[in-house]
Amino acid sequence: MRTATAVAAPIEAHGHNHWSPYVDNGGTTLAIAGEDYVLVASDTRQSDGYAINSRYEPKAFVLSNNAVLGTSGCVADAKRLCEVLEQRAQLYQHKHDRQISTPALARLLSNTMYNRRMLPYYVFPVLAGLDSEGRGAAYAYDAIGSMERVTNSCFGSAETLIQPFLDNQVARNNQRGADPERLLTRQEALKIAIDAFTSATERDIYTGDYLEIFIIDAAGVHKETRELKHD
Amino acid sequence: MFLTRSEYDRGVNTFSPEGRLFQVEYAIEAIKLGTTAIGIRTGEGALLAVEKRITSPLLVADSIEKILEIDGHVACAMSGLTADSRTMIEHARVEALNHTFSYQEPIPVESVTQAVCDLALRFGEGADGQESTMSRPFGVALLIAGVDERGPQLYHTDPSGTFLRYEAKAIGAGSEGAQSALQEQYHRDISLADAEVLALKVLKQVMEEKLSNTNVQLAKVTKEAGYQIYTTDELQAVISRM
Repeated sequence: MRTATAVAAPIEAHGHNHWSPYVDNGGTTLAIAGEDYVLVASDTRQSDGYAINSRYEPKAFVLSNNAVLGTSGCVADAKRLCEVLEQRAQLYQHKHDRQISTPALARLLSNTMYNRRMLPYYVFPVLAGLDSEGRGAAYAYDAIGSMERVTNSCFGSAETLIQPFLDNQVARNNQRGADPERLLTRQEALKIAIDAFTSATERDIYTGDYLEIFIIDAAGVHKETRELKHD
Repeated sequence: MFLTRSEYDRGVNTFSPEGRLFQVEYAIEAIKLGTTAIGIRTGEGALLAVEKRITSPLLVADSIEKILEIDGHVACAMSGLTADSRTMIEHARVEALNHTFSYQEPIPVESVTQAVCDLALRFGEGADGQESTMSRPFGVALLIAGVDERGPQLYHTDPSGTFLRYEAKAIGAGSEGAQSALQEQYHRDISLADAEVLALKVLKQVMEEKLSNTNVQLAKVTKEAGYQIYTTDELQAVISRM
C-alpha cells in the first residue's frame, strides 16, 4: 500500500563535482619553422590530475602527406581529431588525384574545428609541414579553429614556461640589434627545443619522461626520441 | 536503324537489348544542332571561341553569352541546348567555391570537370527518396578550359557524363569540319597569339554568316591573369591579324 510519505530522491550536491566531458591530460608541444624545414617537439607524458597514465604516449602524429600534427589538451579529442584529419586527407587524395598540401590541410583543420564550435575538440594543435615553395610552415590554432601561420609556437601545460623563451630566442622580440626576420637553422632550432623541454620539465609536473622531435624537410619526416627527467 | 529503337527510346533509363540508352544518344545528337564552339590548349593558356547566331538584325548580340566563368581560373564554352548548361555551371561554381572555402586553394580543373559530369547522369526518376533535378539528359556539351598547377588544360564533356582531355576540340554544328581543320593546323608548341588566329580562322570556315567582332566570342584562361573575355576591340585586333 502506498504511503503519503515522500521519499527524498538522492540529489547531487551542486556547486562542485560537476561532470565534465573534458579532461586535460597535460603535456606540451612546440613547433619552430625554418627556411626549408619545420620542427615539432612534444613530450610523451600523459597525466590525469596527479596520476601519470603513461610515460610514453606520443601526442604528435605524422600524417600521410608528411605533415605532423602536434597536440595538447585532451588526448581522446586529439586522437579523434587526427583520425578525422587523416581520413579527409585520404579522401582528398582520391578525389583530386594528388596529395593534399600542408596549407590546404591547415585550412581544413581550421574548418574541422570550427564545425564543432558548440562542443569543441579540447585540443590546441600545431600543424607543421612544407608549403608549396618548400619553406617550413607551422600553423597554430585555438580550440575553435582560429588559425595563424607562425614561425614558432608552444601549447600545453608548459606553454607559459616555454613560449616566452621562444619569443626571445626564436622571434628575438625586443632585442636591440637582432634581426627578427632571421629564421633559425636546424641545429639552432633543435638546441632550443631540447633546452626548452629540459627546463620546463624541471618546473612543470605534467611535462617529462621522453621528448619526441620531428624534423620535416624535402626528404621527408625525420624522428628522434630523447630522454627527459622521469620525476 | 531507327526501327530497332522504336520500343526502347521512350524511357530515359531503359537500356535497349543491344545495351544502349537512346535518350542519352539523342541528347548527344542535340549538340550537333548547336552553334560551333572551339577550345585550344597552348603552353601559355587555354583558349575558347564560340560562334553566335544573330538570327535577326533586331537581336541584341551582347545578350547571347556562350562563354561563362566558373571560377577565376576556369571558364567554359557550350553548345547545344544552352539553357541546360545553367544547372551544370551553377553546380560547377558551387563546387569550385566550396573547394576554396574548405582548402583555401583553387580547385583543380579536372575536379571541376568531374563535378559537372557527376550531374550529367542524375536524370530520370531518381532512386528511393532521392529527388532528381532533371527528367531527361542534359542536351549540352561543354568545353572546360582552365589553368592549375598541372598547367593549362582543356576538357570536353558530353551528355553521357564522359569527359576527355584535348589539345584542341570543336563541338556543335560545324564540329566535324572544324575538328579536322584543327587536326591539320594545331601543333603542340603553338603560341597563344597564333591560337587566337587559328580559332577564328576555323570558326570562319564553318560559319554561315560572315565572321565579325559581334558574332563571335573569344576568351582565354592564363596562369598570370586567369579568365579574360575579349572585348569587341580586342576581338577586332585578332580579326585584323587573320
